[in-house]
Order: sequence, then C-alpha cells, then structure tokens
Amino acid sequence: MSAPDRLRITGGTVYDPANGVDGEVRDVCIEAGRIVEQLPAGAPSLDARGMVVMPGGVDIHSHFASSSCNHARRLIPDEHATDPAPAPPLREDEPPARSGTGGSVPSTFTTGYRYAGLGYTTAFDAAVAPLLARHSHAELDDTPCLDGGIFVLMGNDEYLLRQIEAGERDRARDYAGWLLQSTGAYAVKIVNPGGIEAWKSGQRNVTGLDDAVSGRKLTPRAILETLADATNALRLPHPVHIHCNNLGVAGNYATTLASMETLAGRRAHFTHLQFHSYGGGDGMPWSSAAAKVIEYVNRHPEVSADVGQVMFGPGTTITADAPVEYLLHKSSGRRWTNIDIELETGCGIVPLTYKDKAAVSALQWAIGLELFLLSEDPWRVVLSTDHPNGGSFQSYPALIQLLMDRSVRDEQLKLANPKLLGGGALADGLAREYTLNEIAIVTRAGPARLLGLRDKGHLGPGADADVTIYGRDPDIATMFSTPRYVIKDGAVIVEEGQLRRAPIGRRLRVAPGYDEAVLPDVRRHFDAYASVAFENYPVGELPGEPLAIG
Amino acid sequence: MSPAARLAPVTCLGCGCACDDLTVQVADGRIVDIAPPCPLGRAWFGDGAVPARILRVGKDAPLEAALADAADTLTGARGRVLVVLAPDVSLQAQRTALALADLLRATVDTTTSEPAASGLLVAQRRGRTAATLGEVRNRADVLLFWGIDPNPRYPRYLSRYALDPRGTHVPTGRAGRTVISVSVGQDRGPAGAEVEIALAPDQEITALSVMRAVVLEHPLGELSPPLAAAADAAARLMRARYAVIVHEAEPGVEPARDPYRAEGLLAFAQALNGPTRAALSSLRAGGNRSGAEAALTWQTGYPMAVSYRAGYPQFTPARRGLAAALAGEVAAILVVGAVASLAAALAEAAGRTPVVVIGPRASEAAFPMRVAIDTGVAGIHEGGTAYRMDDVPLPLRPPLAGARRAVETLAALLGAVHARTTGRTP
Repeated sequence: MSAPDRLRITGGTVYDPANGVDGEVRDVCIEAGRIVEQLPAGAPSLDARGMVVMPGGVDIHSHFASSSCNHARRLIPDEHATDPAPAPPLREDEPPARSGTGGSVPSTFTTGYRYAGLGYTTAFDAAVAPLLARHSHAELDDTPCLDGGIFVLMGNDEYLLRQIEAGERDRARDYAGWLLQSTGAYAVKIVNPGGIEAWKSGQRNVTGLDDAVSGRKLTPRAILETLADATNALRLPHPVHIHCNNLGVAGNYATTLASMETLAGRRAHFTHLQFHSYGGGDGMPWSSAAAKVIEYVNRHPEVSADVGQVMFGPGTTITADAPVEYLLHKSSGRRWTNIDIELETGCGIVPLTYKDKAAVSALQWAIGLELFLLSEDPWRVVLSTDHPNGGSFQSYPALIQLLMDRSVRDEQLKLANPKLLGGGALADGLAREYTLNEIAIVTRAGPARLLGLRDKGHLGPGADADVTIYGRDPDIATMFSTPRYVIKDGAVIVEEGQLRRAPIGRRLRVAPGYDEAVLPDVRRHFDAYASVAFENYPVGELPGEPLAIG
Repeated sequence: MSPAARLAPVTCLGCGCACDDLTVQVADGRIVDIAPPCPLGRAWFGDGAVPARILRVGKDAPLEAALADAADTLTGARGRVLVVLAPDVSLQAQRTALALADLLRATVDTTTSEPAASGLLVAQRRGRTAATLGEVRNRADVLLFWGIDPNPRYPRYLSRYALDPRGTHVPTGRAGRTVISVSVGQDRGPAGAEVEIALAPDQEITALSVMRAVVLEHPLGELSPPLAAAADAAARLMRARYAVIVHEAEPGVEPARDPYRAEGLLAFAQALNGPTRAALSSLRAGGNRSGAEAALTWQTGYPMAVSYRAGYPQFTPARRGLAAALAGEVAAILVVGAVASLAAALAEAAGRTPVVVIGPRASEAAFPMRVAIDTGVAGIHEGGTAYRMDDVPLPLRPPLAGARRAVETLAALLGAVHARTTGRTP
C-alpha cells in the first residue's frame, strides 16, 4: 500500500514562523506530497491534539555524505563498535531496512534514519571536493529520508585562483557556474580562502586577508570578493558559504570581522561562527569575542551565519582546512588523516572529545551559546554544530534544551572549567530563553530561507509536506529527540516515535546559466594538469531536476 | 554499438591506476585495440568475449530458476552466509551485494590482501597522509620508491601520474624531480634513480625508524652504510617541497612483506609533514577493489571483514571471510564478481558448502557451484562507477553491450531473498 495522498493533521499547536503562525491550534492539510489550504471532509486524519507541529528540520551545514566523511569513518572503528544500529522495523512494503553503525560519523543509512528520527528531513553536506562529488552522490543515494545536497569547495581551486590572479573575474564566475552544474551541487563553499593552497605548497597557511598566497598575486580577500560576486551574479539561491581564514586560532575574530567588512553590502553566509569568534592571542589568553562578532551580524542584514556549537562529548573534526588539522594533531596527539586533493582542496581529520573540564572546550561551548543568545535575528543566525566537528547532529535536542532552558544551561555552566570564561557574556548571566517559535526559526524556517528553498521550512500552501510533530514534554531534550510523527513528502515515516518508512529523498541542486565560452580554456587546464579526463569529470545524470533559479 | 567503433575516453580497471583516458576500438562486437598501449590494459580488456551461461548444479538453467535456487540456498543459510566482494563489478553492484549481505546477516569480505589489510588497520590506529594521483603529478619534486618499481604491475603510474608529466609545481616534468630508489631484498625500485639504496629485508624496519628519527631530529648513533644512506635519504626528503613515498600496498601472491612495513612507512610519511609536505602513495590492485572498501565503509563503518550476524555490522579483521569459510563456519557462500582469483581458496570450501557465483566468467570456475550466473565485466560491458587506488571515483564507459548486467541480476536476487525473509511473494 502506498502512502495516503491526503492527510489532515488535526488539533496540533502549529509553529510556522514563515507564515506568521506562532503556536496556534489549527489543522495542517496535505495532498499529493504538498501542503494545501484545505481537504474535503472525510480525508484521512492524524490526531495531533496536545502536540507541537513544525515544518521538517533543515540542516544548513553538516558533514555526512562525502569522501572526507568516509575517510573519517575509517578512523573511528572504536566509535562504530560501541554504537551498533540494527535495522529499524520498517513496514513490510518498504525495501529492506538497513543496519549500520553510529558514533560521531554514522554509516549512511543510519545517518538518514537518525536525522529523520529527530524530525529533520533536509540536510546539506557543506564541503565536497568537486573531483569527489560523484562519491557524495553515491553516499546520498544510500542516505534515506533526507532531501539532500552538496556545497562544492572553490576557495582554493587552481583554475579559479589563476583567473583571479589574472583579473579574469567573469571567467571565474562562468567556471563556478560550470563547476556547480558538473558536480550536481547546490552552493559555493569557501574554506580558508587561499590557506589550503598555501598548506599544500609549503607556505603552510595564510593568516591575513592580504597575505600573498604562495607568493602569487593573489590574496584571500580577492578570493572572497570574486566568489561572493560570482555567486550573486549567478543568482544562486544560497549566497557564498564561507569558512573564514584562521579557524580555531586565538584572536581570529579580527579576521572574521575583516572578512565580513570586505563583503559588506553583498550577501554572504558565514559558517560555524563559533570557531571564528575567539579573542586573545599575541600573548593574551583565549577569550570570547562572540559579542563583537554578533554585534556586526546584528547590524548587517546582508550577513547570515550558522553557529557551529560545540557540545561536550565526542566529535570528529573533518575539514578541508587541512593546516588546522595538522596543528590539532600536533597539539592533541590524536590520530590524523590528511588527503591532498589535486587542483582543488585538502582534507584533514582528527577525532577528539570536548570536555567540560578543559578550558578551551568550555570557552568554545560558551561562545556558541553567546552567539545564539546575543543574536537579534534568529532568521539570520541558525542552528548547527558543524556536525560532527563541534558535536554530532544527534546532540541537536540537547542544544535546543540549552537554548530554551536557562536552568539546564546554568547547571552545565557550573560544571564547566571557568578559567577562560571570565568577562564573557554567558558567565555574566544571559537570561534569554528561546521560544518554540524561535526554535522553529533556527532549525527549519531560517535555514530554508537562507538556502533559498521556497518549498521548505514552512507549512503554507504549496510547501513540501515535510512535517514534524512533537509530543510535549517538560524535558525539552526528550521532546526534540523523540518526535511522535515525522511526515516526508506527505508520507508518515515516523509513527509513534518509530521509523516505519525510509524513502529516498530528492537531490537538491542548481544548474545556473554560464557562458560556455569558458569551456575550451577549462579543458586545456584539465588536459595539462588533471588526472581525470575532462569528459569524466561531470557526475552525469542525477535523480530529479535542478531547482529553478531566479 | 555499431559493428566498428572507437570509444573514448574509456576507464580501464586492469590495475589500480584506473586510467580513464583510453581509446578502445571495437569491430564486429570485439575489442580489437586499445590506446595508449598497456600490457595490463590489453590483457584486462582482451577481446571482450565473456561467457553468458547460467548454471544450476553444473547444468544450464533459466535465470528465474537459478535465482530462485540461489535465493533458497542463501535464505536457508541466513546467519551463516559469506558474501565475497570480488573484482570487476561496479560500485552499484557492490552496494546491492551489501544490501543482500545485511538482509542475510552474512559475513562480508573483500579480496583485499593481508598486506593491504594490515595497512588499513594501521590507518585506523594512526590515520594517514595521502594525496590523489594528480597531486603527485603536480607537486612531487622528490619521490622515494620503497621496494617497488611500478612498471610491471602499474604500467602507466610513472608516465601518467608520478614521474614524467609536467605539473603545476613541477613545470619541467621528470627533470624537476629527484628519485630515490630503495630496494628491499629482491624488491627493486625503479631504474634511473638519482639515489639508490639497497637494504636487506631484516634492515627494512630499522631503516624506517632511523629515517623517522632523522625527521624528528632525534640523535643518531653510529649507522651501518645502508642505514646511513637511508638517513641521508630522509634528509633529502625533508628538503623537498612536496615529498611522495610510493609503496606497493598489495603485494598479492608474492612473499609476504614485513607486517610492520605499512606502519613504518605511514609513520615516516606523517612525520615528514613537520619539516615539509609529504604524502604516501599506496599502490593498490584494480578491478574496483577500492570501491568495495569505500562502499563497505560508508554502509558499515568498516572497510573490510564485516559480520552482520548480530543484526548490525561488526568488525572482524582477525577472522577474514575466506578463512572462516575454510574452517567450515559458513553454510553458504555468495561470490559477487570475478571468481578466478579466488578459485584456489574456494575450491576446498566448495566441496562441503554451496557456492553461488554472480559475476564475469562465473561458469568457468573450476569447482562445484550450486549456482553460477555469468555477467559482463564492469567497464567492458557494464557501466556505473569504479574507484581508482586513491579513492577517486570514475565513470565506466563500457565499449561492448549485450552481456547480462551484474547490478540487475543482484537486484533480482535481493528481491527474491527479501520476499523469502518477509514471507511475501516477489
């Protein structure tokens, strides 16, 4: 039996901030996978009385479907061994359910099941080397329950760097358009602009926006400007997605602010802001610069961010920012994988544990919360843990609890190492508690809007029928970790807290227009330097159609 | 496919290089030439002729009956099945085979050799430092070959990736690269190296420790001439802009190397990233073996030797699949892929355990099989994706058509097994 075409969710308390609905008891009607205004009497119904109804969750920044994630999986067999994930009892008319393993980087099927089990129905892998996009699509094929997409890495791409160096910004834009289309990607990602190329060429890293990259007439600033302009010129639904220079370095807030100021007036998304909001350095101890960074964000409507909250417990750092991982390996003594990826980027991985008794971990935790609690616009500062870098997506319910329940937050604060927390806003006492409406914004409506996903993150007519229904519970973490029902494209996939269906999601991607006159030159570059034939580089046919642009 | 055609660019899975720049000439449904010439590539493509039989207990049978028998055999042994991911099937077929293994609560393993397996285990403990082959091409200015001349087993590795081509940071190609050739016993490095070092097998691990000590600036005692030469080589690598260490990760049928070699090389390569940049280039065999490890890893968390018996993946590297089969611990075996390389190992087990083979030339296996279904070869008759030795996925452009597709055959078997386990008719 297929899912019913029609469903009326009755009597729930609806939080649909994109449509101005803040905790109103009303019905939500679904027909043929979409939200509709109304249904005929007698349509099948689902009793949601006493429950909380929200759009399906949207994760704007996660690492769950990439070659880098797979290298990370190889590095943590110990985590997999201690978190077995038997196949869920799907309905008999479903394809065979799959078992897997968890830990901070779960296997693919388990990733999809667990995201759905938290009420998330859309997620993006935020760092994919274009050369390895085919791998990401294969992983997404094996990651059910999620509509998913990838951001491709361009901030250290050799062809782009050459165009920027030569002042050929139009050609850089067209190349970016071709790259997005060839890789089936959704957005442009910059990681440590110029810094990865510096790592690979022996310079080790760049430290400022005007550093020359590997002795070339090329700076991080020029990379930021070129790709921000290209992204806007290509009319992409999501602006350029930026991981700034100097991630994890004391005093890096100055670089973060300088990056924002460089792009002032241009749309740009700054990711895992927590990792870029550190004071101190130059002999001064680490401190929080969250207030300074978020003040800038509050005053500049063209800027958006996700927080990249650190949660106490195990995480695995996976990033294209390979020089950072080398330093983390040296300072922590932990296992370290580094993969240099030709002409494009890098990859570094170090598993680690954030401990509340460790001063820097406690500071990172506090800075993330300060960014959330000092943000004046939840639509532009949305939730992430940079899964699995700051913590697993599986810790989102605990993070939501920290935002909504000051008493829980204060208890954790008491247990945290206070050494570096003095003078920070959290230690001084932040009374704010997020409302359910604000949680609905930072976990679904806000990310969907920032991503330009018009049919997601809301429950208005025409929206994708992705709906999460939570039973109320005085314990916020319990409430958000065990939704009673999750509906994906109109089909009830979680019933009474149990995953019962695992549909393959859509592939969210764009196919921007670009001037094909760029291609002969790109081909020459490939023939000269790539190890893969030009014809074999595009990922080829993908399920579904690209999103319309404009 | 027209009677005569030229197809390019075609990906070859004859070795782990997975060169994707071949031109294949076809005439009258047969491969007649490949270019550029490569002895391994030529042998791997052959003329493209493969058998197309379906055997049930040694006799020709219709596909439906063979699949039903295979499904009955495997379902009846649920919980005690071994699934072997053999070479020459696509990533898509491997993923389907893993779905079968999960459903059957099987043990699943690859044909990854023991030396390669020890390298995977070391990488789990320590991590690793590696690069895609294009990075070797574009950056490597000092290359150290550790007991390997790539030419016989990886014929185009030097000309296509490592030595001859010009790169972004090595504009003069070979002239801009320094080659250090280390021979370990009979394992010779490539000819024409600027520096040659000869080590006895029992000096190998000591030499790697000395080289790491040089990088870490530990004081060195008095060294014998070969170890002193190794120390000098380490110092030369430290002065590289981008050092690449090349080793044979899959010696295959040759005598087993020191099991600590992988750890020594990996630790040395990691340490080199203090004073300079360095990568370890691990040469792996072809047939999309790397794809099997990639898919196993993303579906289970482990790259080989996985048991689904408990209802979820468990890692069993100390008990490899074929060893378990030979010990009589499995009640049925499913081989997915080219069975030839496994024939010797399977022949003994096949005497007492029913074996189902789905893959290229299954019907030609020289041991008794319950069911054998011939399919095409991934990359010759069947499309999809295959992985290069450096984990770069590549599309397959099959020059020939018409052979039975492994991925569809496995999907049909999966459906039949699923129907039996759920009690529904397919």
